[in-house]
Amino acid sequence: MAVGALSLKHKLWNPEARLAYILLLPAVLILIAFMFYPIVYVFLMALFKTDKLGRLKEFAGLANFIEVLSTKEFWKVTGRSLLWTVTGVVTKTIFGMIIAVLLNVEYRGKKIARMLFIIPWASAVPISAMIWQWVYHSEFGLLNHTLKITGIWSNPPVWLGLPIPAFAACMWVDIWIGIPFMALVFLAGMQSISEDLYESAYIDGVNWYQKFFYITLPGIRNIIIIATLLSSLWTFNDFNVVYILTRGGPVRSTDILITSVYKSGFEWLKFSRASVMALVTFFILTIISILYAAIYFRQESA
Amino acid sequence: MKWKNRGKPLVIFFTIILLLFLLFPFFVMISTMLKSGKDVYAIPPFWIPSRFMFSNFVTVWDEYKLFIYFKNSFIIALGATILNTLITVPAAYAVARLRFVGRKLFLYLFLVIQMFSPVVVVISLFKIMAGLGLLDTYISLIIAISVFTISFTIWMMNGYFRSIPMEIEEAALIDGCTRVQTITRVMLPIAAPGMVTAMIYTFIYAWNEFLFGLSFIQSQPKRPLTIGLYIFAGRWSTQWEYLTTAAFLAIIPVLILFYIIEKRLVAGLARGAIKE
Repeated sequence: MAVGALSLKHKLWNPEARLAYILLLPAVLILIAFMFYPIVYVFLMALFKTDKLGRLKEFAGLANFIEVLSTKEFWKVTGRSLLWTVTGVVTKTIFGMIIAVLLNVEYRGKKIARMLFIIPWASAVPISAMIWQWVYHSEFGLLNHTLKITGIWSNPPVWLGLPIPAFAACMWVDIWIGIPFMALVFLAGMQSISEDLYESAYIDGVNWYQKFFYITLPGIRNIIIIATLLSSLWTFNDFNVVYILTRGGPVRSTDILITSVYKSGFEWLKFSRASVMALVTFFILTIISILYAAIYFRQESA
Repeated sequence: MKWKNRGKPLVIFFTIILLLFLLFPFFVMISTMLKSGKDVYAIPPFWIPSRFMFSNFVTVWDEYKLFIYFKNSFIIALGATILNTLITVPAAYAVARLRFVGRKLFLYLFLVIQMFSPVVVVISLFKIMAGLGLLDTYISLIIAISVFTISFTIWMMNGYFRSIPMEIEEAALIDGCTRVQTITRVMLPIAAPGMVTAMIYTFIYAWNEFLFGLSFIQSQPKRPLTIGLYIFAGRWSTQWEYLTTAAFLAIIPVLILFYIIEKRLVAGLARGAIKE
């Protein structure tokens, strides 16, 4: 018994462990103060009634949850968030795959093409969103003008002024930003596939789409899973694009969960409502990240 | 997938089409930043400016004092980078190299919190910053940005420390170095590329940050660049020729930094799935 206790103490508090705890201390302290405590406070705000300054008033139990979950608006926004994420990730994956395939061919100028493809990811998201706002401008914007003069679309919509075009326009900007990451990750994966596989396929007279579906895709399966998980987190989390382009308008038609949380808090000062939605967001994000962590650790131990 | 020569012209053709399509907003930016205010609000709009207004650069820099926002963003980004590095390097070394109870838990935790959304906590962070009297200061942004970058940078550094062979470290210990000396004299120089990547990552994150700047900074002269660009947005109309000029200037530094870390960043994000 005594020996067991001693070895337990030794396990927790030997010189090496002590050093580890000291080295981890700054990170742990800052995370507790500015990450965990805020999350706890969000829980509290969700469980209490709050005033216009976000101070806790009286315990409300689940009343705030019931209030938020019983509004139609909440389900609309949540549904839109899911639509946003799924459409976004699928489109990014498709574009990313096409670009990766194109970049996996050797030719002069490939390096430059690669650098140019990265630009949307490398630029600051808020700044890109502002520029897109100008691109989409209905009267003076060059997008609609170019669509008209090239005859691609003679009567393009007022992008940011109407619900459905505005949602599509925001979606596209988010997708546009996310494509390069997908392309680069897929490309890195494709380059790690052994050349021999392609050589023997070549000898067997396999055509290009067979090569793609039977060698390339299975070869980068793990990478596709990791990349789409990461991308769904980022897509779901994308606050900047919607907030800068439309602020959720017109008539809340482009609001997704993440922008609703912010607006409920900072614009409408409904802190309890904002916190309930923040918790829903938190819950969804945690599920995706645990999935990601599980897959990551499984790969590591394999 | 290697295509034999036959397909090459086709590949180049599709690459060019896709690039024209995806870089469209940057063509718009470049066209607009060289225009005069009259050209910007012309109906119908046109691509080539009637007069090339290179003076827009001088106007945004001097008259609109864009350098103030550059300075603010630079201080915030530098501060966040330093704070992040001071916290990250020891923590990453601990999880990568030392044996202690809870090591796996810490790794798991850092991986999961890396995914948290700033929006979820921004309201409580606002209250905390207000309580500490830090609203409207650079420090509030430096702290918030560090908090949201450390888990990723710890992960990245962890990977670098682990890739260093144990023997090198053991040799240093046998030669009489203390643990701390081993870290500073042996491990850090070898892990330098990883450290630079982590630092540039934090710098870029801070430079591009929008949400905390929007929420914590109230006075105009303290705004970071991303929020500062709104000076060109008036109540009735936006001076797009100036906004695009400023945007161009704001993007260039991060673009260059991004190219430096791009490959390592991708490997760091996709981790185990990609062998470097």
